[in-house]
Amino acid sequence: MKQRRSLRPFLFVLALVAVVVAIWSFVLLGAPPVKTLDARVLDVASQLKCPICQGESVATSPSLLGQQMRADIRQRLQSGQSEQEVISYYASRYGQQIVWSPQWQGFSLLAWVVPMVLLGGGAILLFFILRAWHRMSRAHPGGEDDPELAKVDEAGLKRYRAQLERELAADDPLFAPQRTEAG
Amino acid sequence: MYFSDLGLIALVFAFGFAIYTMVVAVLGARRNMPPLVASARRSVLIVAFFLLMASVALVASFLTHDFGVSYVAQHSNLSMPWYYTTAAFNGGQEGSLLYWALMLSLFSAVFVFTAKRAPAVLVPYVLATLMGIEAFFLFMLTTVSNPFVRLPVAPPDGNGLNPLLMDPGMLIHPPLLLMGYMSFSLPFAFAVAAMLTGRLDSEWLRAIRRWMLASWFIQTAGLLVGAWWAYHVLGWGGYWGWDPVENAALFPWLTATAFLHSTMVQERRGMLKVWNLGLVMASFALSIFGTFEVRSGIITSVHSFAYSAIGGYFLAFLGIVIVFSIGLFLYRLPKLRPEHAFDSVLSREGSFLLNNLLLLGVTFATLWGTLFPLISTALSRQMMTVGPPFYDKVNGPIFLVLILAMGVGPLLAWRRTSSHALWRNLGVPVLAAAVCAAVLPLAGIRDIWVNIGFAVCSFTAGAILYEFWRGVRVRHRHGEPYLLALSTLIGRYRQRYGGYLVHLGLVLLAVGVIGSHFFQVQRDAVLKQGQAMQIAGYSLVFLGNINTTSPGVETVTAQLQLWQQGQFQRFIYPGRSFYQNFANQPASIISITTLGLTDVYVFLANYNGASEATIRVFVNPLVPLVWDGGLLMLLGGAICWWPGRRQRRVAPIVPARVARSPEEVAV
Repeated sequence: MKQRRSLRPFLFVLALVAVVVAIWSFVLLGAPPVKTLDARVLDVASQLKCPICQGESVATSPSLLGQQMRADIRQRLQSGQSEQEVISYYASRYGQQIVWSPQWQGFSLLAWVVPMVLLGGGAILLFFILRAWHRMSRAHPGGEDDPELAKVDEAGLKRYRAQLERELAADDPLFAPQRTEAG
Repeated sequence: MYFSDLGLIALVFAFGFAIYTMVVAVLGARRNMPPLVASARRSVLIVAFFLLMASVALVASFLTHDFGVSYVAQHSNLSMPWYYTTAAFNGGQEGSLLYWALMLSLFSAVFVFTAKRAPAVLVPYVLATLMGIEAFFLFMLTTVSNPFVRLPVAPPDGNGLNPLLMDPGMLIHPPLLLMGYMSFSLPFAFAVAAMLTGRLDSEWLRAIRRWMLASWFIQTAGLLVGAWWAYHVLGWGGYWGWDPVENAALFPWLTATAFLHSTMVQERRGMLKVWNLGLVMASFALSIFGTFEVRSGIITSVHSFAYSAIGGYFLAFLGIVIVFSIGLFLYRLPKLRPEHAFDSVLSREGSFLLNNLLLLGVTFATLWGTLFPLISTALSRQMMTVGPPFYDKVNGPIFLVLILAMGVGPLLAWRRTSSHALWRNLGVPVLAAAVCAAVLPLAGIRDIWVNIGFAVCSFTAGAILYEFWRGVRVRHRHGEPYLLALSTLIGRYRQRYGGYLVHLGLVLLAVGVIGSHFFQVQRDAVLKQGQAMQIAGYSLVFLGNINTTSPGVETVTAQLQLWQQGQFQRFIYPGRSFYQNFANQPASIISITTLGLTDVYVFLANYNGASEATIRVFVNPLVPLVWDGGLLMLLGGAICWWPGRRQRRVAPIVPARVARSPEEVAV
């Protein structure tokens, strides 16, 4: 009986997930999103650094060069070049520093890999530390742990509860004792 | 005698007294001589007095237009209004450093006045550390970066302030951010004192946490005002560009946030002492790095207004701070053992550790990206740049997990949580997320990342609001009306509910960021008089350009009508200002119209006579939520920080009474 009750919320979540997945697959598979030319231009432009500005992308640069570059990107995409081709073209013309998002190759791969490896390593380390601590706590159940709690009898428990209530009432008049006595 | 001479004398005296405080405080503590410590306290106040005097002298030099002072001549001129003339105080590097030193001395003075609350053994070491930092800044101010240097011949008029800085946002943003950087000195001083004396008890923890919370608050405010300034002034339609200097301001904020969370584990369970000390020291080192990076010019940025040679000194100071911290660590490590053992991964402690991992993950990824141009130049002889697309891709998912953890964490109990209790608590938030995830795609939002992002946000918002509801419900059952119940709930359990408000604010902010990141629409248009342009349901009609001239500045504004779905909304006036001496650096006047939850952002890119204008229009959905969320975070932070009532001790006499059900007692 108890087993079943604790399963119920789990099944409820499972059902919700199923509904959401169904809707998502219906909507997303039914009509795969098509990127407009505007969006593709913006996509490419936001990966290129504006060569004459400080810390602004071609997509957001208010300068004249930025405008010309956006127009050029639009033309190239319209004539059938892929996003990657346009980016490589600019990289070959202005040098690698114009590409704002490091490429997935060569030395710049490091930019991506190092944070990911460290985060993953951190997660694994955390897991092992937690496991070690967990083992330690099983080996020496210390402080406020269960065996001591088991020794407390019914009268002792009552006393602790009453004290807890008194402290609570002193802290917050809402829980003052007269209510309990009335109730 | 000029005001500047007075200022210089004050700086020299302040330097002397700072050194005196250091020596006397340490001596007093080591030899156990209370009069020496008392003298150190008083001398901290004297340092504050002299720095105030130096600052007043600099302001007076500005307001009297004493162009014989090189700094005044460089950063102000006769035509500036008095408030910008005063604000020019920290328009350059020398003034910024003076401001830093002034704020540190004032905070140290506040510490002296409230020192009764801090553990007495720590006080002399805290004072000595603070004055050590102060001495470094005063050394810089009296030698290589002196704001009071006089020119041999005073020019008739000054150079004027950088036009980018002539903005109300700029009156608050740099001072706030510098104050934020500075404020990490206090937790650092506490950490150093604790390591030197070996006292890291709960009293220490309470003191350091309040100072850290104050730093967090100031830094949050500084970051928000900075974002607001960038949005209103820079003209690229965004508020955060992962610029190196912006990142630098984020680093100590992230580590401080991590500290504020993991310190709760130390408070409740006596674990993570070493880790927390590390976070405090990292926060301080990163804030020095931030102060240094803005000034050094080693990394190009929109915000570096002043390049100079002081970078080397800062790097040396940073090195000393790091070596000193690590040395103290190694010296104290054996003493910092945890008091309790760890029980279960599925516990509040576990979630705080995850939170720390993620926050440090963001910190490291951002630091790595910021330094990558330097690293790549050094190792591969090719400069590679790292921009927003990188940070969005790396940090976006981490933040998403962080927000999810923010929803789950508070539902977990300390030590361990039964899976049954967890599932019961998860019901409401999961339902909120599911409704959001089901409705949004049907409403036409196709992007899978947006849907995941919004669903996670609604999960966490649901979890937090449900926590509020549960608390209010219990009080309501005891006879309080709902609104009163809510306010007393927050008032009595400030830490907890203030924290929830901060979380709620961050969720709102995240919704705003997701909305503006994925749904921003932009368009450029060259318009002749009477022509209109369409964008995302809005239409703009150009009427003409207006030219106005006032002393020192010439302004061109374009007049446009803004229509939404065929309904006239208002006239808007984007423009550009050309300041005397900065003609090639026009400042933009950006017109931002908030309609509902969407900003229409218009920037005048170019103009030709009175009858032609090139405008860029951005439609930024949900950006107002970024500011609302930010304000909520500040409110929550202030509630957490606000001093609580003194705890009255209850005499442990124990008459037996009827016990209420544990759930009610627990709230």
